[in-house]
Amino acid sequence: MKIKRKTGTNTEISTASMPDIVFLLLFFFMVTATIKVKDEQLNVNVPDAQAVNSVDKKFLIKELTVGFPKDVRLGHSPRISADKQMITLNQIGQWVQRQKTDLGEQYKDQMIVMLRADEKVDMGFIGDIQSELRKNNARKILYRTLVHN
Amino acid sequence: MKLKKTKVEPKVSAGSMADIAFLLLIFFLVSTNLLQDKGLMLQLPPDVPPTDTPIKDRNLFKVLINSKNEYLIEGKVRSDLAGLHDEVKMFVLNPSSNPSLSESPKKAIISIKTQRGAHYASFIAALDIIKESYYQMYGEQVGLSSEEYRRLNRNIPKEYSLYLKGKMNLPMNISIAEPDQISTL
Repeated sequence: MKIKRKTGTNTEISTASMPDIVFLLLFFFMVTATIKVKDEQLNVNVPDAQAVNSVDKKFLIKELTVGFPKDVRLGHSPRISADKQMITLNQIGQWVQRQKTDLGEQYKDQMIVMLRADEKVDMGFIGDIQSELRKNNARKILYRTLVHN
Repeated sequence: MKLKKTKVEPKVSAGSMADIAFLLLIFFLVSTNLLQDKGLMLQLPPDVPPTDTPIKDRNLFKVLINSKNEYLIEGKVRSDLAGLHDEVKMFVLNPSSNPSLSESPKKAIISIKTQRGAHYASFIAALDIIKESYYQMYGEQVGLSSEEYRRLNRNIPKEYSLYLKGKMNLPMNISIAEPDQISTL
C-alpha cells in the first residue's frame, strides 16, 4: 500500500481579516475621541499639580481658556477664549447662561467650569473671572493642571 | 470579422483596503485627543454680600502670595513651599492640642489670598499642596495613600464607603476669598 504523503504545508497567515480589525480600531477611536479643540489664538501653558481629581461626568465640563495672545497685535495682556472665540470679562455671564441652556434643566446646576489658564497669568485677572462666574452661579471650578512627577 | 471579446472579471482588489483603513486610523489618532479632565476642583462661594462671621485667629491658616510670588505663611515670609504639607496637617489635626493651632479639624480654615500681580502658577502650587495634605489625611484615615484615595471610584459601594469614611470630620475648608472680608478675632 502506498501512503500518500502531504507535501508543502501552507504556512501563510491569512491577512483577509486585517481590514476588519483595523476598521474596528478605527471605529473605537472615532467613538471615544473628541476632535481636538485646540486654541490657536492663545498661548497656554498650564501649571503642574499633584493632588488632581478627574471628573466622572465629562459632559458637565465646559472649558474656558485664559492665556496670552499669539498675535502681537492683540496686545500682551491675558485674554479669555471660549469655544475658539475670544470673549471679554463681561461676556462670561452670557457664555455661562448659554452653556447652562445646553446642559438642560437637570444638569445645569452641576456645570463644571474648567479653567485652562497659563501659569504666568496674574491672579487679579483670574480673580475677576471667578467673580464673574460667581455672579452667574457657576461655582464649580476645575483648575486644569498637568500631573507632575 | 469577428471581434474577440475578453471576459473581464469584475473584482475589486481588497488588498489596499487595509492601507486605507490604516491611513484613516492614523488620521484619527493624530487629530483627536481624549478629553483631558484632570485638575484641581474647587467650589467657589456664592455671590452674596460677605457676612462678618467671627473666626478665631487660631482656626485660620493664612497663606498670602504677593506680586513677587513670595509667600507669607502664618506671618512668616518664605520663598518656597517646602514643608507646607506637614504644617497644614499639624494645623488641621493639632494632635498635641497646641493653643496656636486649630481647635478642631472641623473648624480649621485654610485661607489663600493673592495680590493681583501674583502668578497663577504660585497660587496653584499653594492650592495643590493644601489639597494634597488633605488627601493624605483622608487616606491615612482609611489606610490608603493620597493617590489611592483620590482614585476611589464613588460608583462602587465599597469604595464609596471608604471615600466617605476618609472625609469624615475633616472638611476641606479652603477659602480663596479676600482676607479683608474675613474678620479675625
